[in-house]
Amino acid sequence: MPTQLDISNLSKNFGGLRALGGIDLAVDTGELVGLIGPNGSGKTTLLNIIGGYYDASGGSITLDGHRIDGMAPSRLARLGIGRSFQVTKVFKRLTVLENMLVGALADWGLSRRAAEAKARAVLETLTLTRLADQPASSLSGGQAKLLEFGRIMMLDPRIVLLDEPFGGVHPELKRFMYDTIRTWNAAGATIILISHDMGSIFGLCRRVVTLSSGSIIADGDPEAVRNDPAVLEAYLGDHHAA
Amino acid sequence: MSGLTLLQKGILAVLVLALVLPYVGLQDYWLYTLTIGLYYAMLASSWSLLVGYVGRISFAQAAMSGLGAYVAVLTGQLLDLPVLPALAAGVAVAGLFGLFIGWLTLRLHGAYLGLTTIAFGEILRIAVTAEYDITQGSRGLTAPPLWQGAGPVAYYYVFLAAAVGSVLLMLALLRSRVGLFFQAIREDEDGTASLGVNVTLWKALAFAASTAFAGLAGGLYAHFVQLITPSMMSLQEMGYILAMAVIGGFSNVVHAALGGVILQGLLQVLRELGEWRLAIFGAVAILMLRFAPNGLFGSLDAFLRRRR
Repeated sequence: MPTQLDISNLSKNFGGLRALGGIDLAVDTGELVGLIGPNGSGKTTLLNIIGGYYDASGGSITLDGHRIDGMAPSRLARLGIGRSFQVTKVFKRLTVLENMLVGALADWGLSRRAAEAKARAVLETLTLTRLADQPASSLSGGQAKLLEFGRIMMLDPRIVLLDEPFGGVHPELKRFMYDTIRTWNAAGATIILISHDMGSIFGLCRRVVTLSSGSIIADGDPEAVRNDPAVLEAYLGDHHAA
Repeated sequence: MSGLTLLQKGILAVLVLALVLPYVGLQDYWLYTLTIGLYYAMLASSWSLLVGYVGRISFAQAAMSGLGAYVAVLTGQLLDLPVLPALAAGVAVAGLFGLFIGWLTLRLHGAYLGLTTIAFGEILRIAVTAEYDITQGSRGLTAPPLWQGAGPVAYYYVFLAAAVGSVLLMLALLRSRVGLFFQAIREDEDGTASLGVNVTLWKALAFAASTAFAGLAGGLYAHFVQLITPSMMSLQEMGYILAMAVIGGFSNVVHAALGGVILQGLLQVLRELGEWRLAIFGAVAILMLRFAPNGLFGSLDAFLRRRR
């Protein structure tokens, strides 16, 4: 598979604090990559730079060979990069259906009727149809996470960035989310998944990248990363690794 | 009609009543009051368009109305433009100025945004006051009537048409995909951007749309009262607009417009209270924000829906 997302020597400083230092990461089309690391290791910062929310301090990102670093999030979304947020960003005073329509209608070539038909079909697959006309404020935490999934699906994304999608989600709903992610991936979407839920990461991903203090300390198949001493040290401390 | 809520039916009834009012023996004084009320209805609803739907606070609405008024009158005088193109020039300049403020304040929120718009409004008001040779400063600038021989009834209908037309235009905008973008931006800017909506563009354009409507209101007002002064751009005027929108309900352009007409009527009914009226309106606005943030009509609408 050709490299789709190529991150080269990417760095990010917040004032005097180095959040990311010289990240090199190449992600192929259709990969499902887990991004793990202790709190403060730079996972969300990396996702925020890929998604256009932060400017990088140095380095570059290319999508299919074209530079995308520094682009606005809305432009990146239109290029096919969809993302979810650690704390869901559903539009609480809009209905579930309206939440779904926002992204679809950002494409001016799509009529409202077509967008609505598409949104209802996606809601059906997410089992949210009965809530379509309810305000998003009435959703549970898990349903809000699903709605974010649905909004991403409306974009027909090529790359999906998921930031802690399973946080606070009921196990049954979590299994449903696994299936959705696998379906996305099977349909050709590249997925980068951040999660503290190791069961989810190792169950879903065929490649796991570990960050610690803003650097990649391990990158490989789940089994190799799970047993990597550097990863154990980052998570558990020196003496456990030994 | 069966699909309308009780409040919507009430609003339709008020509109029908408004159409026949000049023919039921209403005194000119009250017709004048209602005309001014319709001016405020345009300002309150255009302010609500920005604050209630996009979540961008602005205290420059009165200044934008004044800008529209001065541009309409001055382009008429200096460029010899007929009234309609001059009014259009006022709308365009107010809209462009709004676009500029919107662009300049893209990254500002809350108190910082509010304070910046106050500064813009005050700069405009002071500039108009200071440029005596052009604007006649505090003495005021005389404006021609909309047309020769236009009387109170004609003005009333013009303002009624402008206010209803403006609100209908705003509603059409809000029901389009742009209105959905506005509300999504109000809810969460990052979340909206992540879905491919150009938040920067729509935030700036929302400012422009809101101030363009204010510019139209100001231009019409100038040709109605035929003497405009910088005081129409003052923070006190802005306070009126704010109280009208808050008391009517600023999360709905129709409710805010109704607040404009009703408070202007109350200002006249309670005129014996002098300056105290403003203190009372301020107190009512505070109580509304605390206990009924959807305003009088928003609360009434919710109450009627619950009873159905």
